[in-house]
Amino acid sequence: MELASVILVWLAYLLYAAAFAVFLIGFVTQRPWTNALGRWVAAAALAAQAVGLVLRGVEAGHFPFAGLYESMVLLSCAIALVWSVAESLTRLKAIGLYVMPVVLVLLTVALVEYNPPVGLGPVLRSDIVVVHVTVMLVAIGCLYVAGGAAIIYLIEEALLRRRRPGGVLGRLPSLAALERLVYRATLLGVPFLTMGMAAGVIRAETFRVPGWATDPMVLLSVAAWAVYLALIAGRVRREWTGRAVSWLAVTGLVLLLVIRFAAVPYLSAFHTYGA
Amino acid sequence: MHVVVAGISHKTAPLELRERLALDDEAALRVSRELLDEGVACEVVALSTCNRTELYQWARDSLAARHAALAHLARHAGVAPSELEPALYSHSGDGAVAHLFRVTSSLDSMVVGEAQIVAQLKAAYQLASDGGCTAVVFNRLFRHALEVGKRVRTETAIGERPVSVSSAAVGLAQQVFGDLRDRSVLIIGAGETSELTATHLKANGIERILVANRTFAASTDLAARIGGEAVRFEDLEEHLVAADIVISSTSAPHYVVTRESVERAVKRRRHRPMFLIDIAVPRDLDPEIDRVRNAYLYDIDDLQQVVEHNRHEREREAQLAERIVEQELANVNDWLRGLEVVPTIATLREAVEEIRRGELARLGNRLSGLTDEQRAQVEMLTTSIVNKILHVPTVKMKEVAGRDQCYLYVDAVRTLFDLDGHAGDDGDTPAGDAGRATADHTDRAAAEDAPSGGTVHHLRGTGTEDA
Repeated sequence: MELASVILVWLAYLLYAAAFAVFLIGFVTQRPWTNALGRWVAAAALAAQAVGLVLRGVEAGHFPFAGLYESMVLLSCAIALVWSVAESLTRLKAIGLYVMPVVLVLLTVALVEYNPPVGLGPVLRSDIVVVHVTVMLVAIGCLYVAGGAAIIYLIEEALLRRRRPGGVLGRLPSLAALERLVYRATLLGVPFLTMGMAAGVIRAETFRVPGWATDPMVLLSVAAWAVYLALIAGRVRREWTGRAVSWLAVTGLVLLLVIRFAAVPYLSAFHTYGA
Repeated sequence: MHVVVAGISHKTAPLELRERLALDDEAALRVSRELLDEGVACEVVALSTCNRTELYQWARDSLAARHAALAHLARHAGVAPSELEPALYSHSGDGAVAHLFRVTSSLDSMVVGEAQIVAQLKAAYQLASDGGCTAVVFNRLFRHALEVGKRVRTETAIGERPVSVSSAAVGLAQQVFGDLRDRSVLIIGAGETSELTATHLKANGIERILVANRTFAASTDLAARIGGEAVRFEDLEEHLVAADIVISSTSAPHYVVTRESVERAVKRRRHRPMFLIDIAVPRDLDPEIDRVRNAYLYDIDDLQQVVEHNRHEREREAQLAERIVEQELANVNDWLRGLEVVPTIATLREAVEEIRRGELARLGNRLSGLTDEQRAQVEMLTTSIVNKILHVPTVKMKEVAGRDQCYLYVDAVRTLFDLDGHAGDDGDTPAGDAGRATADHTDRAAAEDAPSGGTVHHLRGTGTEDA
């Protein structure tokens, strides 16, 4: 079953790469059919990945979130899922082109750092950890999408200001649509982020983890949370729109990336990804 | 037999002449029927748009077809043929088919890449087809041409980017706002370009149009023309707040809208974006406005630059489209050549001979008891049956070969004996296969649509003539 799972994840990897290629062709050649084709390929990849994850969970005997491999596969799965839903709900074109590389990078990390499924260590054997991980993954999926859309917004705005409407500009979604996506994805992600953080706090308190409140990872998470709350508050009162909202979303994204790839592996005293 | 096209277009004739030559539905049918009745052509389609008037004919003599087209068009327009002659172009054979494909692909249009021509050609063909002016060849050719038009539009980006100032402005507005349906536009000054842009915006879904002009009467005029609402010029600042898009084209020597007023407006708009277009020379809108957060200002030079860029892009796509036309031309040529009598007889004989040999081979075992002499007799017997059966059709086909309608017999023979299906087994290049798939599809559609028209009608017609 482990082998089947790995094969499925590899299949998903190749399909995501194919979807990326299709989106890229569509971007360059502007053929209208490419977006639909890319989405179908990506949907197939998502299905393969989901089945692969389930098999992995069955083999390991627990929810597949432990260790770098599982968490990365899970995270990329969450992002792809959030993107598919967003794309079908908002009729936004051309987002897949930017989502696919993120998914591919995460999956590359996962496949390079592959480890066979193992049982959970005592620290992770708790329902609240499963809640924490699941909820966090949804939140991070949403907030990565928001951050990605914000980056495109800022690039597009700069092109529009610099009078470069040829080239890529006509191939990007409208500023209004991107801004809406940034805001809505954040609006969806923040409650999950809040819940995930609360679950983390409960877990730390019940196990009496020493000094958790001053851990760099926790402090950075609170900072990111504050940034997202500020974004929502500013946007609701319509004091911050467009560029301001996008910059905040990008700031939040940078903080999340720092937490994931710097703070937790190198600075945090207690938080692990189950290794 | 040749496909022949003769006509005038924006490339050869001034608007004044094009207007006189324009054919409405009734005139198009009348001219087509006259050409058919005179026996110049076997099938006719008349295409008339504001940029071209063309007669497509399936005719034996291309020169006669050209003369007839010239005479009929001149008579219809009430001009002397000698006056029309210099503007008239004509193509026959490959050239005519290529021209038709280039027309449907909008490669021959005034604005390369425009989308209307496909619908216009479809209507022209439908009219001719309903009026009984088309049969086997044009049914297939025009359906194929429409497919080519579609293929060019889906496979190239030829119609993607706007190439006029007003449509470029609309494109930019869409880049900022996406869907324009709930947006409103404020027009300052009643210039021609701003009116054109407003019309474009309206076509793209904008519902609310405000018009402000120094003289209120002019605002009311323009507002009435484009279905907008006239507002007082003195309240400009108030209306800026309501406007997502601002188009300015006054003749004022100074700035009509300053950076400060836009700043205030954006603030009162709660930072919703504004897109301002300045078409006036000298400029109406302070260039500093572009520095305001959430306000985007484009002047006439910026728009020209966009248009220029998009033109280049279309030209590149047009080359791609030309290649598609060439490919499709090859597909049609294969089919048209098949409509000639001699190769069809040869193909028919080969097909039947193949059946004969196949059947003999199938019986191979059971015939093994025969002596060589007996085997030769069986061989001779079957061959002579085949020859007897094919004798009359062959003679009849050669007989009709000299007539205009012979291609209808050829088409019938090819359909009845599935000769084109045989040709398909030979295996071609992949591109050829793809082309054939389209052609087959077109053909099937033609057959389904007109079971009682086209071929049958014409065959019966010829039959009566014979009797």
